[in-house]
Amino acid sequence: MGFLAPLYLLLAGAVAVPLLIHLMRRKTGLRVEFPAARYLARAEKEHSRTLRIRNLLLMLLRVLALLAIAVAAARPVARWLGAGHAPTAIAIVVDNSLSSSAIVGGKPLLDQFKRMASDVLARATSADRVWLVTIDGNVRGGSASVLRDEVARIEPLAGAGDPAAALSRAAGVVRSAGLDAQQIALLTDGQRTEWQHAPQTGTAQLLLFAPGGAPPMNRAVTLAEPRPARWTPSGSIATRVQSRDSTTFRITLGTRTVARGTAAPNEEVVVRTAPPERGWVAGTVELEPDELAGDNVRYFAVWIGPAPGVSVAPSAGPFVKNAVDVLRSTQRIAEGNDISVVTADELTALPSLITAPTDLVRLGAANRALEKAGIPWRFGARRAGASTVRGAGFDGVTVALRYDLVAQAGAVADTLATVGSDAWIVVGPRYVIIASPLTPDATDLPVRASFVPWLGAVLTERLVGEPGQAIAAEPASHIPRPRWADAMEGPDGQRLPLGDVVDVPARAGTYFLTRANRRVGALVVNPSANESVLDRYTANELQALWPAGRAVAARDAAAWFTMAFRGAARRSLVGPALLFALIMIVIEAIAIGTRTRRAA
Amino acid sequence: MSLPLRADLFDPASLVALGRIEIVARWIVDGFMSGLHRSPRKGFSVEFAEYRPYQPGDDLRYIDWKIAARSDRWVVRQYEEETNLRASIVLDVSKSMAWSGAQLRAAGLQPNDSRAHSAGDRLTKLAYAERLTAALALLFLRQRDAVGLVRFDDRIRSSVPPRTRNGQWRRIVAALAEPGSGLASSAPNALQQAARLINRRGLIVLISDLLMDMPDIELAMRGLRAAGHDVTVLHVMDPAERELPSSGEALFADSESNLTVPATIADVRAAYKNTVDEVIGEWRTMFASLGIGYEVVSTDAPFGVPLRRAFAARQQQP
Repeated sequence: MGFLAPLYLLLAGAVAVPLLIHLMRRKTGLRVEFPAARYLARAEKEHSRTLRIRNLLLMLLRVLALLAIAVAAARPVARWLGAGHAPTAIAIVVDNSLSSSAIVGGKPLLDQFKRMASDVLARATSADRVWLVTIDGNVRGGSASVLRDEVARIEPLAGAGDPAAALSRAAGVVRSAGLDAQQIALLTDGQRTEWQHAPQTGTAQLLLFAPGGAPPMNRAVTLAEPRPARWTPSGSIATRVQSRDSTTFRITLGTRTVARGTAAPNEEVVVRTAPPERGWVAGTVELEPDELAGDNVRYFAVWIGPAPGVSVAPSAGPFVKNAVDVLRSTQRIAEGNDISVVTADELTALPSLITAPTDLVRLGAANRALEKAGIPWRFGARRAGASTVRGAGFDGVTVALRYDLVAQAGAVADTLATVGSDAWIVVGPRYVIIASPLTPDATDLPVRASFVPWLGAVLTERLVGEPGQAIAAEPASHIPRPRWADAMEGPDGQRLPLGDVVDVPARAGTYFLTRANRRVGALVVNPSANESVLDRYTANELQALWPAGRAVAARDAAAWFTMAFRGAARRSLVGPALLFALIMIVIEAIAIGTRTRRAA
Repeated sequence: MSLPLRADLFDPASLVALGRIEIVARWIVDGFMSGLHRSPRKGFSVEFAEYRPYQPGDDLRYIDWKIAARSDRWVVRQYEEETNLRASIVLDVSKSMAWSGAQLRAAGLQPNDSRAHSAGDRLTKLAYAERLTAALALLFLRQRDAVGLVRFDDRIRSSVPPRTRNGQWRRIVAALAEPGSGLASSAPNALQQAARLINRRGLIVLISDLLMDMPDIELAMRGLRAAGHDVTVLHVMDPAERELPSSGEALFADSESNLTVPATIADVRAAYKNTVDEVIGEWRTMFASLGIGYEVVSTDAPFGVPLRRAFAARQQQP
């Protein structure tokens, strides 16, 4: 309990008045002659106990009344039950993540959350400050009636959202209200994968509601991945299904079904195909609908095109020529001039896989060829000595001879491998540069087993077609804009220009990325596979994530409704204190009246 | 014929203000006698004594019709009564008797009774008792009874032996004017003195506020009763002694016993009234057990009330 005007507590000193009166009452100075004093003494003797109790009671009533008045004047506030509530800043956080759309009891869980939020908002007074926060961190402010309309418009997200951001922003807005009573009222399904850590909620009290009972059974597609990322033209789709038993699935590509099958729980199923489509194509892996429909479909996108024709310059070395022959035999590439594999000094056109010249004297010609091709990289100093390559897929590869790769102005590239702190393989639009000749005396890469697959991936994924790729993202997330795209094509075909940061759509699906009105990639939006794991915390388990005393768990919806505006709110006790004082005064008046009547 | 006002039914304070004690006593007795429509004893005596003018209330049987026929005057025959009654009035003149409720009001304590407006004019218990004594003595004398007086406080202040002769009443009235109002009350000695004065069986009337120890009184009364005396006790109380004022706080002091009691009246008022009723009940029970008449007399009650009680006691005598 606290006091808004504690100085008024000094009024409590007034209790000394009845105390003094009680103590001094027998020290009256008025003396009267009364011959029948013996009767009076006898009366007092026979009734002294009753009189003492009555006087003590009256003194106590007066003291309590004065104390209650003093306390009321000090404007006490405290946490307690009762009608009404003190002005409260409350942020209602509705977990509208994908898992909240699960059907429970015939209705989506989110509908229950929306009803509860609306009921609480209906209790808000004009002195309250209220906000509505969805689990993606979107904050809505305004009057309670406006927010009730907003509650009705809440739709489930396609993903997990950002619980930490949502609670952090909720804490921020209630803190900014400047009211003494602050509360964050959270409605969540308590999904364990969603609440692995307790987000910061500041000093505001967190009121939790999580439904009891077991979550519904759920089947979900947790993997839908084209392999490789670009098909030339054949490829495969890897998929995995989360369920308790075997589940039938369907794979679509474009507008047609390319495969149907049955998958065992958590078994990775790979379906090979050589579709006739070309360019960037969207596909799905689908299951039969269940209680959580949002994860029954998983999207993917793949570039499909003919096998590129690859030419190998003699200067590239025999190991490269042999590897290309192997790739041609698997029909992943063909013979032609779509892509060349050359040393830099013989570079004439792009796209190309470019290696360092085998002869130091050709270094100048190599740099001039790079400049002529518009590649912003140059070969620098020659480095000799065994070094280890670092990079994905290059474990154990050593380098004995290499050149420094010097970036020129405007160089933007991905570095696939490094030697020490120097780049060894860089990738740019329509080119891949290796800082060493692909000969055994310069590096052992050509003689390693991983060389052919790596070379195949470079030729068919890095250098074939338009520069671009399929980018995976979670719904309502934010990613930096890929430099090779300038717009995003929505489901309706409308293209939206991209800013520096791409706001990933909240709805799952494939959104093609374009450049100059040509599809150059895709943004594949799928929920996290974790979102399909519906295991829940109980309310108490969820409460335990936060430091003791910071969060309060409601045992059911009614308790959550009751505790909203109150759990954290310190209610004014002025009314109860005055009522208490009034009761004390009335009782005292009754006692005195009774005494007077009896005396009469 | 209009009925004259009966002085025995007057408000005592108003009546006392009209004259001296002898005059007031006569008025009282005259009014009282006129109110006796029928004497329980047929005739006061058998020997004629004198005539006196008829007064309303006189028994018509004693009107001398012959004189009325001759002179057109109504006279009543009075007879010399042969009496064997010797009465002694024992009057408490202690300091507690010289008190009235007006002293409480003077101290700022508001009386609660409906007659509060007259409290300031209320007689002290002693003044009331003296008038009552004078009237009672006159009443007895008019019935040819021998009557005496003993005044006492902490000791016997006056002692007038019972006589029936002329001038006895004046002696009693003169004795009433003697100083008294000592500190304590010593009734046993006074009662013994009264018994000695009577010599033979008689009537003893004790007029006191009974602010005394009950065992002492009881012992004395037993002695009187054992000696064959009839005793009547008139317990004089001020209304303010029966009920305390409505409110106030004070230190209530009794000068006789040096007892002081601090009290908030509202707290003890009901208990006090109960206590007084209990005390009266105890006196009544004790006196009744001894065959003693007992009457509580309030100083705001007309003198006729105690007179009737004493007269009834007189009538019970042979």
